[in-house]
Amino acid sequence: MIDALRAGLAGAWRLRSLAVFLLAFNLAAAALLAAPLFRILEGDVTNRGAAPRLVHGFDYDWWRRFAHERAGFGTSFGPEMLGAGFAFRNAEMLLRGDLPGRLFSRGGEAVSGAEPLVLGLGVAYLALQTLFTGGILAALRASRGGFALRAFAHACGFYLGPIARVTLLALALDGLVFLLNAPLAAWADERARESVTENAALVWSLGRHAALLAALLAVHLLSGYAKALVVLEDRRSASLALVSAFAFVLGRARTVLGHFAAILLLGLLLLAGFVAADGALGVTGYRSQLAAFGLMQAFVLLRIGLRLALAGGQLHLLRRR
Amino acid sequence: MRPILLAAFVSVAGCAAEPPEPWPRPFDLPAVPAAYPLPPLPGRSPRIASYTIEARLDERTHQIDGRLVLDWRNTSDKAVDELPFHLYWNAFRSNLSASARGEGPRAARFRKDRDFGYTQPTRVLLLEPAESDLTATLRYVDADGGNPDDRTVAVVRTPAPIAAGATARLRIEWTSHVPHGTVGRAGWVHDYLFIVQWFPKIGVLAKDGQWKAHAFHSTTEFFSDYGNYDVRVTLPERFVVGATGRETEALRNPDGTKTLRFVQEDVHDFAWTACPRFLERRERFDAPGYPAVDVRLLLLPEHAHLARRYLDATRLALRAYGAWSAPYPYAQLTVVDPAWYSGSGGMEYPTLFTGGAPAWARRDLLAPESVTVHEAGHQFWYGLVANDETEEAWLDEGINQYFETRAVDLAYGPEAFAVRYFGGRNQRDARRGIPVVAPGVFMRRGDEHRKDLRRFGREDPLVRRAWEYQSKDSYYLNAYDRPALVYETLENLLGAENMDRVWRTYAHRYRFAHPTTRDLLATLNEVTARDWSAFFDETFYSSGLVDYAASVKQEESRAPRGFLEATSERFVSLDAPTPKPAPAVWDSVVTFERREEARLPVEVLIEFADGRLVRESWDGRDTYKRYAFRAGPKVVRAVVDPEAKLTLDIDRSNNVWRDEDGLARRAALKWSARYLFWLQTLLELHTVLG
Repeated sequence: MIDALRAGLAGAWRLRSLAVFLLAFNLAAAALLAAPLFRILEGDVTNRGAAPRLVHGFDYDWWRRFAHERAGFGTSFGPEMLGAGFAFRNAEMLLRGDLPGRLFSRGGEAVSGAEPLVLGLGVAYLALQTLFTGGILAALRASRGGFALRAFAHACGFYLGPIARVTLLALALDGLVFLLNAPLAAWADERARESVTENAALVWSLGRHAALLAALLAVHLLSGYAKALVVLEDRRSASLALVSAFAFVLGRARTVLGHFAAILLLGLLLLAGFVAADGALGVTGYRSQLAAFGLMQAFVLLRIGLRLALAGGQLHLLRRR
Repeated sequence: MRPILLAAFVSVAGCAAEPPEPWPRPFDLPAVPAAYPLPPLPGRSPRIASYTIEARLDERTHQIDGRLVLDWRNTSDKAVDELPFHLYWNAFRSNLSASARGEGPRAARFRKDRDFGYTQPTRVLLLEPAESDLTATLRYVDADGGNPDDRTVAVVRTPAPIAAGATARLRIEWTSHVPHGTVGRAGWVHDYLFIVQWFPKIGVLAKDGQWKAHAFHSTTEFFSDYGNYDVRVTLPERFVVGATGRETEALRNPDGTKTLRFVQEDVHDFAWTACPRFLERRERFDAPGYPAVDVRLLLLPEHAHLARRYLDATRLALRAYGAWSAPYPYAQLTVVDPAWYSGSGGMEYPTLFTGGAPAWARRDLLAPESVTVHEAGHQFWYGLVANDETEEAWLDEGINQYFETRAVDLAYGPEAFAVRYFGGRNQRDARRGIPVVAPGVFMRRGDEHRKDLRRFGREDPLVRRAWEYQSKDSYYLNAYDRPALVYETLENLLGAENMDRVWRTYAHRYRFAHPTTRDLLATLNEVTARDWSAFFDETFYSSGLVDYAASVKQEESRAPRGFLEATSERFVSLDAPTPKPAPAVWDSVVTFERREEARLPVEVLIEFADGRLVRESWDGRDTYKRYAFRAGPKVVRAVVDPEAKLTLDIDRSNNVWRDEDGLARRAALKWSARYLFWLQTLLELHTVLG
């Protein structure tokens, strides 16, 4: 497990320029909505008393009025994304089935932020990352050498078919998870309501969310190994790759889960570190804004790095079968 | 390294270290007693409806069998031969009741058989003036029209009219089925019982002989006359019981039950609660100028860590409300921490109220503080002044909301903004969620009220009977938030000291007196020696909103061209333009607009680059007021309502126009970068799927 973790992290470090490349894509995709929001915000606060307050902090009253008058993706802007809030908001969107494109949502009120344009962008991003997966895994498969755009592009195209099929199968499995989760969630929520104590209710409620998260992560784990197998063994059958991945995970459960848990733990540490650093940073002038921007991009870059490290570790474990 | 990591984790989980300053923080209040003359406080209530009650609870069947003797006095100018009684639990009798047909979080919604409940009078006897069995005359009435299926008001007819000033004594026997406590405020949840509005209760007879006995709607609260209560409750011995009044007797019965007697004079209702799991904390409130009060806190074990916060908030309410109105006169006050998922949280009864807080209660989210101050505060308005909550909800709830936000702001500061994740959508389910606070984001006094004012403010004028608003949102806005903003605006216009004098006069003069809106306005006019009718026409009797805005158009003064007059008053030719004025000279047009209907007088302020200030008053009657300045210094700031007195203004950001100096761009960049980051992480999260 430690070997896999080390190999994965080494692979991610070796392909740091690939991580930067992926970050650039990520940044560009997000900028598609952030740039118009900048215009909207600027238009709203130009000549207004809210501007200095927003420079030095957050003006809640202004935001409430802004949100009230806004329609479309601008409604997804709000203070809930501050601090650790962005991670919780994202996780809630994931667990409510809002991602991707409200595909697994079972009706009801969407989480604040689950706005059609935002969700549509997410679907496009998922498609793009599916395309990139072959290139990423092929680059990680090579034991040395850095990121080469041409080889990357070639591998992306070469593995697109089976990897896209694995993705679709994994999405189907996610759908199954949500389908099975619905009665379980309703049952657990009812148990929570009927609990004698609030603490018991918390256990029921948070427990059922944790179970759903674990199931989704298990699908992600399987899908990750299946995609690694596709690239490692040039598999063309997505379903067989998934079956092989399942057999592999079952056979080496402790190592595989340990490796996955280690990556998750690193992710949580990264999040905690970001929240602490972000909280310590007072953002007012352009210089501090630049520092905050740098911090945020570093976080996303490291998050991408962990994605690479996970895939690299999975390739390592598959090679060592 | 370890502590840093731990702190970071704790922060991520949404329970960052608590702020170190004293909490609640020290604050000043007006002197008690007041340094100026106030109307005398009555020593006792008119005692119009007094009850002696005996009730027995069957825990297994959730049945209460009771009998009461009512001593009632006709204080109207007319004789009456019909007596209406509220049977509130009949709101849970079927899905046809007015409450069940209503909307909002308080509407009766039945999911299971256990949710239903009722109050059924079994015998009604007139004991005095002449003994007579009235049971056969009992009939249900459609008190507010529109729902003949409602059973929350019943009427009995007396054989002879009860004359003005005469008294009557009635004996009523009844049986009740306790509804499940998730449907309404009353009810049982596991071993927790909250027994309120539980006995047949006579309506209020107005001076003109008209009864006020409305049906129980999903948005209405209560109205009843003062009297003395002497109540004996029999229930299993293991229960810890809290109730209105003081416990004067406790008897153990041979059948494993106990009978507790509670007595309280000069109240208008009686409530009780019981749970074997209640922990009990007692504290004495004793401050100079205030009567001593024994505060008894009954809370559930999972909330034991909140005891100090409950008690501090109760003390704050007793002090602040006592100073701003009139001190609490009763010797005891019981604070109840409601059971998990019970609907009883956040409600007031005489000398007893419920708070409510999640176990995971961050200090900066002010739960249980806000709700405790609010419900304790009701003791001063609902409890001691007692206006009609069904017809004029904005008096009790609105005044109390205003006092609550003022007291909480004074002692605790603004509430942090947080979202609870992984809980549920409704208020009670949401308590299961993890509270995640947005660092540095605070909801200041009035912010949350304005939020709903923008959304629902146009639906109704504030003055409406509680069940006649267009929607439940409009009811909540006009009962709570909008009047709180009106009173806060008044406070800003009058100054806190004058406003306190108004409240003190009102609270003293109308203790135990059921005042109306007219009484409140008369008190305001009298104390301030000014007629406030125009202000209330715009804020109480109109659905118009307040929105003032400032804007400026300016350009550097033009270099004159054309057929102009020279200083010698001779024409100069087109070919000889006069020199351009000095660069720092501007032509400015400042416009103050009234963008909504409500017309309130307001101050305007214009600030020039040379530091000169122009301050004027505008009556707000026209839709705009314009000021033009030629060849002067640049306008750097124009502000309507510069001291932010009109807290009713739905868009305060447009009250200020400021010469652009790059701050707008900087602010937009800062927050769009944050949005960008959120989107980046959201997009990256998609890679977990598929």
